Amino acid sequence: MSSPAQIETREAVAEIGDKYKYGFVTDIEMDMAPKGLSEDTVRFISAKKGEPEWMLEWRLAAFRRWLTMKEPKWARVHYPQIDYQDSYYYAAPKNTPLKQSLDEVDPKLLETYKKLGIPLNEQMALAGVAVDAVFDSVSVATTFKEKLNEAGVIFCPISEAIRDYPELVKKYLGTVVPVTDNFFATLNSAVFSDGTFVYVPKGVRCPMELSTYFRINASETGQFERTIIVADEGSYVSYLEGCTAPKRDVNQLHAAVVELVALDHAEIKYSTVQNWYPGDENGKGGIYNFVTKRGDCRGDHSKISWTQVETGSAITWKYPSCILRGDHSVGEFYSIAIANHFQQADTGTKMIHLGANTKSRIISKGISAGKAQNTYRGLVSVYGKAKNARNYTQCDSLLIGGACGAHTVPYIESRNPTARIEHEATTSKIAEDQLFYCLQRGIPQDEAVSLIVNGFCKEVLQQLPMEFAVEAQKLVGISLEGSVG
Amino acid sequence: MTALAARREEARTSFAGRGLPTRRVEDWKYSDLKSALGEAGLGEEAAATRIMGLPQGLEFADLADPHAPAWVAAHLGTLARNAVSESSLAFAEGGIALRVPAGQAIATPLALELSGKGHLRLLLVLEAGASLSLFETGDAAGPRNAGIEIVLGEDASLDHVRLSRPVPGVQVEEIALSLAARARYNAHFASFGGKLSRTELTIALEGRGAQAQLSGVSVLGGDAHADITTHLIHATGNTHSTQLFKKVAGGKARAVYQGRVTVAKGADGADSRQTAKALLLSETAEADLKPELEIFADDVKCAHGAAIGDLDADSLFYLQARGIPEADARALLIHAFLEDALTNITRDDVRGMVRNAVGQALAALT
Amino acid sequence: MLEIKNLHVCVGDKPILKGLTLSIQPGQVHAIMGPNGSGKSTLSYVLAGRAGYDITEGAIAYNGEDLAAMPPEQRAAKGVFLAMQYPVEIPGVTTMTFLKTALNAQRRTRGESDLDAIGVLKLVRAKAKALNVSEEMLKRALNVGFSGGEKKRLEILQMSLFEPKLAILDETDSGLDIDALKLVAEGVNALRSPERAMLVITHYQRLLDYIVPDRIHVLAGGRIVAEGGKELALELEAKGYEHIVGQDSIKRSA
Repeated sequence: MSSPAQIETREAVAEIGDKYKYGFVTDIEMDMAPKGLSEDTVRFISAKKGEPEWMLEWRLAAFRRWLTMKEPKWARVHYPQIDYQDSYYYAAPKNTPLKQSLDEVDPKLLETYKKLGIPLNEQMALAGVAVDAVFDSVSVATTFKEKLNEAGVIFCPISEAIRDYPELVKKYLGTVVPVTDNFFATLNSAVFSDGTFVYVPKGVRCPMELSTYFRINASETGQFERTIIVADEGSYVSYLEGCTAPKRDVNQLHAAVVELVALDHAEIKYSTVQNWYPGDENGKGGIYNFVTKRGDCRGDHSKISWTQVETGSAITWKYPSCILRGDHSVGEFYSIAIANHFQQADTGTKMIHLGANTKSRIISKGISAGKAQNTYRGLVSVYGKAKNARNYTQCDSLLIGGACGAHTVPYIESRNPTARIEHEATTSKIAEDQLFYCLQRGIPQDEAVSLIVNGFCKEVLQQLPMEFAVEAQKLVGISLEGSVG
Repeated sequence: MTALAARREEARTSFAGRGLPTRRVEDWKYSDLKSALGEAGLGEEAAATRIMGLPQGLEFADLADPHAPAWVAAHLGTLARNAVSESSLAFAEGGIALRVPAGQAIATPLALELSGKGHLRLLLVLEAGASLSLFETGDAAGPRNAGIEIVLGEDASLDHVRLSRPVPGVQVEEIALSLAARARYNAHFASFGGKLSRTELTIALEGRGAQAQLSGVSVLGGDAHADITTHLIHATGNTHSTQLFKKVAGGKARAVYQGRVTVAKGADGADSRQTAKALLLSETAEADLKPELEIFADDVKCAHGAAIGDLDADSLFYLQARGIPEADARALLIHAFLEDALTNITRDDVRGMVRNAVGQALAALT
Repeated sequence: MLEIKNLHVCVGDKPILKGLTLSIQPGQVHAIMGPNGSGKSTLSYVLAGRAGYDITEGAIAYNGEDLAAMPPEQRAAKGVFLAMQYPVEIPGVTTMTFLKTALNAQRRTRGESDLDAIGVLKLVRAKAKALNVSEEMLKRALNVGFSGGEKKRLEILQMSLFEPKLAILDETDSGLDIDALKLVAEGVNALRSPERAMLVITHYQRLLDYIVPDRIHVLAGGRIVAEGGKELALELEAKGYEHIVGQDSIKRSA
């Protein structure tokens, strides 16, 4: 399912790899690293990004650590062994030949965009068609930048932040997800090539919702993004991450790391609508999405809220978590995970209650259809000092058809007698009488399924910012098309 | 070599290969068996079993007898297969096998005492339409490892109550059951913990209409540990299971419940409820609950609930406002919290004994 | 408008309807009465197209078209409405959202354009008042936590909103007290028109005091065993079903 452009890029790179047998390419004109992963690859990436020495050292330490680690196997996902030497870890997008018109794009892809209501200009941008003439992303970004500058908000690619705000980056990078955290996070630490850095100063309420969509080159973000969001004391920021462009890649690895830090009285709201290419109806292709997302409620009265709508990817391995360190801090996790056809999702959260009077809330809605396997895996852990900690968890699974699976694996641990933890889980299916009722009132089958499933997910959809919610609702419908009948 | 001897030999090899589980084995995350046992491990000693009067109608066989009847050979070592079970099969010198022939309803409860240290095996077969009430007491003088297998034929019915005494040492066991169509297993486990105490129940609901009702209470103080791990397998449709486990932990105790419910593909009409609740009474006690669902069929009713918490402040205030001192009010509410897990015990006399033991353990705790 | 000829219907392997013949003209209100298990609800489901109700013999013509060949949502768009005995709850979907979705889905199937949210809201509000359906009810999830009366009122509200050509009312009186019944009946009577046919399915004569039918058919054992005018209901009330069902031949009293 690779686009011709990507195949071409890869072929070109492969050829170069053969020619230059002595390691990596230093030619400044070359915007790609040869296949495989070595210290040289890490150095190449760092050099490409024009990084300072400390950053390179940090990456190399991660890489050396990674060599000693084993891929985790505890999740309920199955996939062939990944050959980490058989991948490219850096390929600059600018050399990717752009398509000249929409005619060259997979019509199935365009159909999806149309259903999502994405305007034509954006469709072209997302599909990788040359759009400079019609879509001035630079000026859009500039307008927003001015407004953000006025407020003192830093919002830029992480490579820019490493260059321009090294002290801030040093202060927070790797403090929430340590370099040694897990196999995929460590890999990301070594080879990340893109990502976002956000810093909201003390007392500032970010004047707009930040979104990767408004970032330059947003449609070509790398496979190993690293995002850091820091909300200083008393500040507020809402960040939207849209992966609404189905990628065309074949079983490509996507290992992102997101670190959030909320200081005293600060609040971060992080919303994701993930629709990476899930593979086809027969389970061929699709993204392996191994993502580490964690928020640290470092300050008292801080709050971090994760909302995710996961409809894409062949494999999802993702547990956006909150470390509730500050007293009175609050963590939330609202999730919709849809798995259809041969998709496998293993997703959930960890709420680690360290501080007193900390609160957490978990609402998870899992939908399984086709031959998919969908697992909620979550941990609520209350430590000894977390006096009066509170957690409420509701995990609901909906099954569509008898060939799929829905699994719930909650870990509930408490070491404080004043803490209260409540967990409930249910499993149900779309009732035949609900479906018939809708049909009888003239609503066609797919629309009825979408309506019922959206009702099932309502509590989570309500958490999304308005324009995202509309998009997410449509996605829910699209990803389940043809699942009943 | 007889088939039985061959199976024992296989168990010996299997255990030698697998070894004792460590905390890194997912199912043993909250029970660190290897470090609780230390260098000595489980040992190879055989434990003693005592039957206090064999009710009429029950057939008995000694597992040490190399020429055990066919029904023993047909079942022994077929259900319990985890690593510690394999070691009990390998090292227990015999053990006992009991059978209730088809259609027999045994009126007198069977009282069984499991004590001593070392490995022991028990096989209980209820043939089609048979019924029995089993009341088990016991303790462990040292590391004790029991492998219990229970086979319930069609329409068979077993009431099972376990009342353990607190044990100083390590106690592990696997109780594995297989239920044919419409068979019924109703069980209660009252546990007061040990240095490490683990009861693992593997229940396969194989036939349509089979049902299992499990309940249990744990009252733990000092540095006691008690782990109840269940695995309910709805292998076919129209099967029912309920679970209700209540735990109270004070001192430095650790209460563990892990419960996995599996509904196999095509097992439509499976119905499963699972509830686990824990009360922590001290700053140093810990409760770990892991209620797990594994569902491969869509026409099912499965729900679980779990909660860890404090006594309800409103109830406490209500009782105090009616003149009951706080300590008494707390005791009353703790008893009430545990009481609803006792209602599953069908015999009044047995429930009374369990309630007494719970009362004593609570008195020692508060 | 509706011509049912020699209809045989099975649910699973079990034959329920065994040669039912019925004809309804526009503007007419017909009632189907019958004891429990006579096949009344099966008739309503087979007309609406519920899966699992297999026609083994016979035909249903609706305005000259083969009704059985259409999927349920197409029947709805063509004006077949079934007010259900047990309206279904759909958690998380507000009543208003449902009404809008259904209305626009029907319009789309008919090749008409969508009504916008405000247009639908105005339309629903205008109809809701007469049926005592509150704003608050419209905001709640569809039928979730509704009383029996509220559910039935909402069914009639949908009927008035969708303006069907053929309305089938399945045991609309069940679970209603007398005041709720009157309110629902008034709603139904207000919708009687020369273009619209109605099929009222009921076990009791009580409902027919308020919705007076042109014809009554008695269904028993999967067949029409008696037919007549509205006075047949009174006879049934007085003598019981056994009296009529017990007779072999079809009785024609009108």
